[in-house]
Amino acid sequence: MATAHEPCAIVGFGQTKHKKRRDDLSLPGLVREAAERALDDAGMTWSDIEAVVIGKAPDPFEGVMMPELSLADALAAVGKPMMRVHTAGSVGGSTSIVASSLIMGRRHQRVLTVAYEKQSEGNAQWGLAGGRSGGMGAGGIFAPWMRSYIRGSGAPEHIGWKVAVKDRLNAVKNPYAHLQLPDITIEKVKESPMLWEPIHFLESCPSSDGAAAMVLTDEEGGRAASKPPAWVLGTAMRSELGSFPGRDTVRPQAGVECAEMLYKEVGITNPREQIDVAELYVPFSWYEPMWLEGHDIAGPGEGWKMVDSGETEITGSFPVNPSGGVLSSNPIGASGMLRFGEAAQQVRGQAGEHQVPGAKVALAQAYGGAAQYFAMWVVSSELQPSLS
Amino acid sequence: MQCVLLGAVTELRATTHTIEFPYTRTLGPVIGSFFTGLRDRRILGIRAGDRVLVPPLEYDPETGDALKPDFVEVGPAGTVTSWSWVTKPTRKHPLDRPFGFALIRLDGADTAMVHAVDAGSIDRMQTGMRVTPRWRDERKGRIDDIECFVPEGGAA
Repeated sequence: MATAHEPCAIVGFGQTKHKKRRDDLSLPGLVREAAERALDDAGMTWSDIEAVVIGKAPDPFEGVMMPELSLADALAAVGKPMMRVHTAGSVGGSTSIVASSLIMGRRHQRVLTVAYEKQSEGNAQWGLAGGRSGGMGAGGIFAPWMRSYIRGSGAPEHIGWKVAVKDRLNAVKNPYAHLQLPDITIEKVKESPMLWEPIHFLESCPSSDGAAAMVLTDEEGGRAASKPPAWVLGTAMRSELGSFPGRDTVRPQAGVECAEMLYKEVGITNPREQIDVAELYVPFSWYEPMWLEGHDIAGPGEGWKMVDSGETEITGSFPVNPSGGVLSSNPIGASGMLRFGEAAQQVRGQAGEHQVPGAKVALAQAYGGAAQYFAMWVVSSELQPSLS
Repeated sequence: MQCVLLGAVTELRATTHTIEFPYTRTLGPVIGSFFTGLRDRRILGIRAGDRVLVPPLEYDPETGDALKPDFVEVGPAGTVTSWSWVTKPTRKHPLDRPFGFALIRLDGADTAMVHAVDAGSIDRMQTGMRVTPRWRDERKGRIDDIECFVPEGGAA
């Protein structure tokens, strides 16, 4: 790996208990809860932080316009640089990457990054279902693309149900996860109401209130950290238009190139072998095999077979979303940072009951808009791991 | 087959799109206490060091420290520290007649909050004037439970 830039370490991670409605907390209080947990995890206090980078999905979710203007006190950012990032649903990922770039560019030594959504303030699933203004929402946009994947790959329909069950059973091992469905079965998923054919109710993400936060440091901070750090081996972001003639909506080119750039930067030539665990942005069940193929972890038409053979279970050869993923908690703006932070927790050995034993190299990915923004990073327990 | 080229015809220059969406604002323990107080005709500030902030904040605006729920009842009367006069109110303004928007430092508070002053005439408005709230009969726990402030010693 090229080390022209400063190495970046994740030394603290925190998240809220994600719920349908966190009416015990104001919006600043929600953000604060995750940030304080990240600081505690890092063994730091507010005064150790030099800069704050926040992210969230579109402002209409809460109806609080430009919330970065009013969160400076809750994030103790008065007198410090503070900025807000926005790339729709991938924002939690791109926010993490922007924060890491402040370290890698040697601009700051200790950066706090926070992402959140308090979706209950919008009273409905504005982003998922379109709200009263009559938009299609994410489910309506993605459903035909999932159908295209199924038709093109020849995947049997139980693949979607299987992903839905796996992620919810993983979530039972994660006390912060919103949905806790220990009794979920393939049968229950199949019998749940059809929301956007081919997606059943239980194959869709929930709408959550929640926040995630990370403390990032330079190499010196990483080496001095009280708990094991996660080292950022590489990052990548790509975007494209959400709609244009000839667009491959099942395997968007921006996603392919984002992964390609990331693997090249990290020195990954065989992601399926060299990556121990992945947290991928899967808000609807079919997106697990779609991203396995869309990011060249599996060959064309092979992603669903990895699901079918149980390879993406926690105990499988390529665990995907051991935290329960977006299917179990979806505070949209935070969902990407939860992927990025959970990947870090895995290589830090701090993932608790959903820890993948011995995980050394983890991939995190988030996508947003009409599958048009991509953000990815690879983290490792070692700064220069041998990628075998 | 004949191919006909059409030039631009722009009779329709715009279309409309109305977005309608209701929001809820979770108040949290501090603003929640402030609004609960208003419902009961009490105006609460919060202690931050040796100052009293009104309306109360959850976090110290200077240090970022979480403020303890140490509430102080202030006012109800206060002093105008600055103001602006609204000559022609629109239907969205708090009063349907000319009024002042004023920064009002309530007695016992160290910060000023904005509210409407029903002074009747711009001639009655001045920095340093004393004002007192006019409460609504039916209060819901909102900032407009105070309909407006009026000059002390009699409304216009």
